[in-house]
Amino acid sequence: MEPKQDKLAALQALRGALGSQVVSGTELLQEQELRDNHFSTDWQPLDEVLGGGLPTGQLTEVLSSGRSRGSGLVMAQLIARARKEGSYVMLLDVGKGFTPWSFPARDLEVLLWVGCDSVELAVKALDVATRDENFSLFLMDLRDCDAADLRSVRPKQWYRIVGQMRMRDAASVLFSSAPVTSVSKRRVEMVNPLSLETLHQERSRVLKSCCIQEAAAPVSREPSNREPMVALKAG
Amino acid sequence: MSFAVIWCSDFPLQAVLRRSGRGDCVALVDDTKRQSVVLCSNANALDSGVEPGLSTVQALARCPHLQVRRPSAAAETAAGRVLLETALSWVPLLEETEAGLLTLDLSSQAEDDWLDSAREILDRLEEVGLDCFVGLGETPALARIASQAARQSGGRYWQLVPKQRLKLLDALPLTLAEVGAELISRLQLWGVKSLGQFARLRREEVASRLGDEGVALWLRLTGRLRRPLRPAKLEELFEASYEFDYEVVEREPLLFLLRRFADQLVERVSRTGRAITATHLLLTFGNGSFYAKRLALPEPTLDEEVLFRIVSGHIDTVEMKSAVVAFRLRAEPSDPIASQRTLFGTGLRDRHHYEETLKRIRRLVGADQVGSPRPLDHHRPDQFSLEPLQPEFEEHGLLMSGPPVTGPTFRRYCSEVRADVQMRDEEPVQVDSPKVKGIVTEAHGPWKCQGDWWHRGRRWDRVEWDVALMNQGLYRLVYSGGSWVVEGYYD
Repeated sequence: MEPKQDKLAALQALRGALGSQVVSGTELLQEQELRDNHFSTDWQPLDEVLGGGLPTGQLTEVLSSGRSRGSGLVMAQLIARARKEGSYVMLLDVGKGFTPWSFPARDLEVLLWVGCDSVELAVKALDVATRDENFSLFLMDLRDCDAADLRSVRPKQWYRIVGQMRMRDAASVLFSSAPVTSVSKRRVEMVNPLSLETLHQERSRVLKSCCIQEAAAPVSREPSNREPMVALKAG
Repeated sequence: MSFAVIWCSDFPLQAVLRRSGRGDCVALVDDTKRQSVVLCSNANALDSGVEPGLSTVQALARCPHLQVRRPSAAAETAAGRVLLETALSWVPLLEETEAGLLTLDLSSQAEDDWLDSAREILDRLEEVGLDCFVGLGETPALARIASQAARQSGGRYWQLVPKQRLKLLDALPLTLAEVGAELISRLQLWGVKSLGQFARLRREEVASRLGDEGVALWLRLTGRLRRPLRPAKLEELFEASYEFDYEVVEREPLLFLLRRFADQLVERVSRTGRAITATHLLLTFGNGSFYAKRLALPEPTLDEEVLFRIVSGHIDTVEMKSAVVAFRLRAEPSDPIASQRTLFGTGLRDRHHYEETLKRIRRLVGADQVGSPRPLDHHRPDQFSLEPLQPEFEEHGLLMSGPPVTGPTFRRYCSEVRADVQMRDEEPVQVDSPKVKGIVTEAHGPWKCQGDWWHRGRRWDRVEWDVALMNQGLYRLVYSGGSWVVEGYYD
């Protein structure tokens, strides 16, 4: 017993002397997990707010309470990043307002655009698409949608999509003017309105003038296996 | 140039024996005529004296245990397909010269590999119940003689090496030449007993004494009779079909058969070193009508699951107006893939899955609402087309960098948003529309553009203003055709 205690004491003394240079296996695993489970956006402010990048296998919401806050720039940045990574992106565009001229032609090579008439249709299409391993990033443009339209999607549908994305390490970003679902893992908000001068500035410079912050954390619930109780109307 | 001949001797008999199993003494008889006669017999029957040409009664008298079989066209067709499919794994160019005899062009293969390939093919044919011989020669005719020489020598293959051709032909009897008995007997009277001796004769003398038949043989033996091969038709080779004894009104029996056909076809195509690039589906209905469809695969595959998914998905969409009485599936083989991805290229991981996803999404949102957007080379703003997504693309670093992209992105309203715009000093100062209204704090413009004036009735003309509305955002106003619209916003 004596030599073992000596060894432990020596090990503790060594750890005390080295201080923060010693990393435990658990810490190393957590760090590795953080790196592996995130899709870097290549835009430092967003990566910082999201804690390393877009969480894969999760929904992330990018909100902008008003127009011209830079949500579209975030979208362009994500497509460019996916292009750099060699990944394909699917954009589910509710309202069909996508303008290809705003995006570099080379980035459009990896983009599959899907025009949808309603949020419900877009979610159905996303449900189908997230089963396909060819796409690693799904963008859903809900900026022109009404809040009532957003609420028409049941959490169960979102949970199913998240489950499918987890199996394929894909990430999904919802662009909206209001919170979409409590199933979202992270929620960020574009806060700074852009000025008219930015129309003539280089995009990288415009991106720097955008301001992003973490929005109120969504209340996440685990999916319930039971259907919600429906109250019967008394005769 | 060199050729090989794969010869399946007594092909009708072997085709029948593949199905019914090998017996001890078996003979194939022709009983369509007044007197039934033996067409061919196996080695044991031959040893018992059952030779071709004997009447069946005589054959049974010589060999009481003789099993008598009749020729089967279906068995010969099936055996012919197996022979062809197996031979395709050797070289791509081959000719189905006659039933049970294939001629292969070996120019695409290195000479050192010929004999190894021949042995491999013969082993595979033996596994599927066909005993064959391979002959190698510099012309199709010489390769054919070599294949018969292989049988006569007791081996499985025989090569007629060009430099030793005459010497090797000296060992072969005239009967291998497949010429008339009269010519052979005349040559034997002259003392010519081997093919080598005949080939040494002078052409003029052969022509003057033996005529065209003699000259044709002389040309074959000297390697001067050359002809191009007639490539075998592979279109109908990889096919599986079934005729139902009853009328099928549900899809389950079709899917059950489809699963079996997919497995069979994939195995058969893979044996030839090819992949399936499309399938042809043919359904025959009880009312006499047909449904035929060619289903192209996104990329050649040998995955039976993919084949099943694609065809079964299509069967689900077929409207069956009547019961199905026959089902046929044909696989279209592709040449081996001659391309590979570039070193820095990347692309779709599973094109089959992508095509299935695309079909399902198109069903949801409409076929014209899915695609990869590409700006058109046009001065009119926001003109673009939807193209299919490229399955492969070059990595970012290798691309030429284009002009720098400026400003935020633009998002247009899908429906036209008409607006009342108040102007002061030729600049917009206030906007009032169903989507947005407010005071203009800053405006950039006017940006005038027009085009297509050279086409009657297609002229367009517009004036754009980029405006910042107080506490609202950045919008694009367009004046065109005497009215203002809010086209969209920058974001």
